[in-house]
Amino acid sequence: MGLLTKLMAILGFNRREVNVLVVGLNNSGKSTLVNQLKPDEQRATEIVPTVGFNVEKFNNKNVGFTAFDMAGQGRYRELWEHHYKDCQGIIFVVDSSDGLRLVVARDELEALLDHQHIRSKRHLPILVFANKMDVRGALSAVQVSASLGLEKISNKPWHICASNAMTGEGLQEGIEWLTNQIRQSVMLEENS
Amino acid sequence: MIGFKRDSKKDEEDGGGNPFQNLEKTTVLQEARTFNETPVNPRKCTQILTKILYILNQGEILGTVEATDTFFAMTKLFQSHDVILRRMVYLGIKELAPIAKDLFIVTSSLTTDMTGRENLYRAAAIRALCSITDGNTLQQSIERYMKQAIVDRNAAVSSAALVSSLHMTRFAGEVVKRWVNEAQEAINTDSIMVQYHALGVLYHIRKTDRLAVTKLVAKLTKSTMKSPYALCMLIRITCRLIEEDDVGTNSKLFEFVQSCLRHKSEMVIYEAAHAIVNMKKTGARELAPAVSVLQLFCSSSKPTLRFAAVRTLNKVAMTHPAAVTACNLDLESLITDANRSVATLAITTLLKTGAESSVDRLMKQISSFVSEISDEFKIVVVKAIRALCLKFPRKHSVLMNFLSAMLRDEGGLEYKASIADTIITIIEENPEAKETGLAHLCEFIEDCEHTSLAVRILHLLGKEGPRTKQPSRYIRFIYNRVILENAPVRAAAVSALAQFGALCADLLPNVKVLLARCQMDTDDEVRDRATYYSVILNCNDAVLNNRFIVENTHLSLPTLEKSLHQYTMQPSETPFDARTVPVAAISPSEEARLAAAEEISTKPKTAIATMTREETYAEKLRNIPQLAALGSPFHSSPAVDLTESETEYLVKCVKHVYERHLVFQFICTNTLNDQLLENVHVHLDPLPEGFVVAANIPCQRLPYGEAQSCFTVLTFPDVLAISVGSFGAVMKFSTKDCDPATGLPDSDDSYDDEYMLEDLDVSVADQMQKVAKANFAASWDEAGDENELEDVFALTSMQTLDEAVKNIIQFLGMQPCERSDRVQEGKSSHTLLLSGVFRGNHDVLVRAKLALSEGVTMQLAVRCSDPEVSELVTNSVG
Ligand SMILES: Nc1nc2c(ncn2[C@@H]2O[C@H](COP(=O)(O)OP(=O)(O)OP(=O)(O)O)[C@@H](O)[C@H]2O)c(=O)[nH]1
Ligand SMILES: [Mg+2]
Repeated sequence: MGLLTKLMAILGFNRREVNVLVVGLNNSGKSTLVNQLKPDEQRATEIVPTVGFNVEKFNNKNVGFTAFDMAGQGRYRELWEHHYKDCQGIIFVVDSSDGLRLVVARDELEALLDHQHIRSKRHLPILVFANKMDVRGALSAVQVSASLGLEKISNKPWHICASNAMTGEGLQEGIEWLTNQIRQSVMLEENS
Repeated sequence: MIGFKRDSKKDEEDGGGNPFQNLEKTTVLQEARTFNETPVNPRKCTQILTKILYILNQGEILGTVEATDTFFAMTKLFQSHDVILRRMVYLGIKELAPIAKDLFIVTSSLTTDMTGRENLYRAAAIRALCSITDGNTLQQSIERYMKQAIVDRNAAVSSAALVSSLHMTRFAGEVVKRWVNEAQEAINTDSIMVQYHALGVLYHIRKTDRLAVTKLVAKLTKSTMKSPYALCMLIRITCRLIEEDDVGTNSKLFEFVQSCLRHKSEMVIYEAAHAIVNMKKTGARELAPAVSVLQLFCSSSKPTLRFAAVRTLNKVAMTHPAAVTACNLDLESLITDANRSVATLAITTLLKTGAESSVDRLMKQISSFVSEISDEFKIVVVKAIRALCLKFPRKHSVLMNFLSAMLRDEGGLEYKASIADTIITIIEENPEAKETGLAHLCEFIEDCEHTSLAVRILHLLGKEGPRTKQPSRYIRFIYNRVILENAPVRAAAVSALAQFGALCADLLPNVKVLLARCQMDTDDEVRDRATYYSVILNCNDAVLNNRFIVENTHLSLPTLEKSLHQYTMQPSETPFDARTVPVAAISPSEEARLAAAEEISTKPKTAIATMTREETYAEKLRNIPQLAALGSPFHSSPAVDLTESETEYLVKCVKHVYERHLVFQFICTNTLNDQLLENVHVHLDPLPEGFVVAANIPCQRLPYGEAQSCFTVLTFPDVLAISVGSFGAVMKFSTKDCDPATGLPDSDDSYDDEYMLEDLDVSVADQMQKVAKANFAASWDEAGDENELEDVFALTSMQTLDEAVKNIIQFLGMQPCERSDRVQEGKSSHTLLLSGVFRGNHDVLVRAKLALSEGVTMQLAVRCSDPEVSELVTNSVG
């Protein structure tokens, strides 16, 4: 890679295309969240439970995101791993008002982190949304983080923020973190 | 889809090479891994998808794993927004759908596309979605989108949704039925295609409900639909109603069809004309306007219209000769049409209706270009010739020459078989043509590449050859086959030779020598046959010859196989008794062939032995322990209805006759969805004298909509004379009310109930199996006049000989021999020869001499080794 292009990349002139995988239990709000990230005029007016997956595109700071919004229902979760190999970021969505199923979410997250294609990507950023923060009695981001055991993730960058996918609150913060992480990790990868 | 031909080398030579030639499946699938790469390269992936589609269309088979992997890789391509690539993905999904697993994973992606903004995606996405969905997903996730799509303003989307709905009725008929309002709305649109497809869906949803169809038609025939396609379909539906309801030509329905003759679209006009001439009951008055439309089309400048018109006329030439004759002049001008298909049809139509005098001229015309037309049309020509031969027996030599010339040309099996069939028909119909016909066939098998055809012809030579003036001339042709052909043909030739040995004493020494040589053949079957025939012929016993060479023993082969298998499993001292195996009924297709007058199926006979009715039932009966002990049924009658067609319960009865037993199989259907029947059985009362009920096998559960069987086993009376009679029948059962949706009973409460059935008859025909005799006279003599019973009857209710013949055959359930079921026109007397086997393996032969006189007088002679059987047969006719 030439010096100029490197410089451009650092300064953010160079537009990038990245794939991110959006996973989490069913009804956690993945599709709603991804829909909210899309430009106004392209948003769908209604969201239904996903069967299989959906591909959506949105932009953040000159990075073009292609999001694979996966279905979260039990019988579809096996599908996630088909996409582990070629993704540059993971968005894990948790319904923070569903305290009961947090253990299930934790299991799924651990299984994901344990997968060979994920383990081999050292710099893969994991963004967790503690979604549905607006619901009364919802757990805080800190509580969700503790329940998921995020502090144990040592070999990958991770971040958690509370969100409301219906209004978009909290999303921007999370996505900005992800964008920066991806820029860095991609550079690290290219340098190594 | 039009298939590519793998071996079309020519195309490749002059097309600058096919880029997809020599594609390897494994390489292509390897390349498909590119789909997983990001970013997606649309051009490259489109190329690869094209290759996959290409190899699939070449007949390449993918395994489930291969297909599923490829399918998963393909799903990655949804991240690209390249329109061409996406549409290729839809095609790929549709092709892989039948093989791959976990198809549902593209459900959301496809629903997004079908409801999205990109119009180029929507229709195609609907079609792909239809190929991957199942009834459940449809109901849960897609139904409302489908409903919206059906009424979408975009015609392509609406059409795709309607056509997909039709496809989905296969697995989700109930769901699709709920879309009737949307389809109804779609039928009112302006789009020609949408209207057509909407009618298709509406009709399909309602077609089992006669009343609903009648209403639909009544409504639509009053409205004026714009779409000519929809109108054509409406005409077809209307005609079906007219035919089914038998409403005749004065109805509103017929008026509608007739009014379509004045429509402005040619398609609709043609459809109406076609419908009218094809209706069963159109009179000359209704026919005239339709025929004049076709006549007009005959001189159209458009080849399609000329073709359609002449093809229709060709089809109805036999049913409405007068109507077609009216178009003779127009047809004459078409015989030189530049379009060979039109010309062929015109000529053959004229041949069918024309006078004897024009045959020579027309045949000459057609010979001039017969080599230029396709097999399909050559078959049309052959059919016309067959009809001609039957009509003008005197023209057989011209026609036969023509046929033999055709036989020498290149052509496929179906074409050659149709010629051979025609020659065979001519030989059978017209004794004068026999020798020439056989000669042509002999010549043909000298150079015939179709094994099945050669075998059939050899069989015919064996049957007919010995009865000609000079049997010896055929021996050389037959023996040549033994030297030159493959094993099946050699075996057939051996059998044919043996026929000559059995029937022509002067040829016997030669045949014996030839057969001796055949015993050295390399093939088992050929050697076996040669040995078998040699042994019999060496006995010099005319009765043996007749029984084991001339007449084939028609044992039921599947049953024989089963019995032999059982015998080898339990070896015993006593030899296997072939008489325990029931004789085979003459299968319906064979029967049709034997009785065929105008139409002999031109399809090559399939090699797989088709099972007769008895054999199919025998399979099932053997699985019921109580019945297995009885062995295989000797004869099973066709099912008869014991209830009216639209009642609460439908009951059909099949009578299975064994040597001493009679089994009634009652096939019951419960049409009430809120009832579950249990312990269903049929009580017989009154019982004719001498019959005893030995066992009752009830049906334990009879849920709504399923056909289940219960059985009653009886023993026949010892005295044969009373083994026919009429049985009263009542179905008895206990009922539980249940939930129509789930079919589960509401509670354990049940109450007993019964249901009257129509009476059941057991006749002579039920106890008789049809068996053909090739040489009736020999068998008749063999049976001897000491076993003969003779009587004279006056059949006063019969008006014609033909009617009497049909009735006697049906009544006795025996096989007409030597084509004696056909009464020559204008004759006042006729002899009918019948043969069959009565239960207990008694051969029965019947000779009925019929004469017209105030009704029909019949002198009936019955020969059977068992005098009781003869008596029963004679008595039952009276
Ligand atoms: N109150 C509240 N409701 C939300 C929020 N996010 C999503 N929902 C609702 O949660 C439900 C499920 O949302 P989806 O986006 O379909 O959930 P999903 O994770 O895509 O579900 P699957 O596709 O089945 O895996 C919907 O009714 C949303 O309206 C949120 O932040 N607050
Ligand atoms: Mg979803």
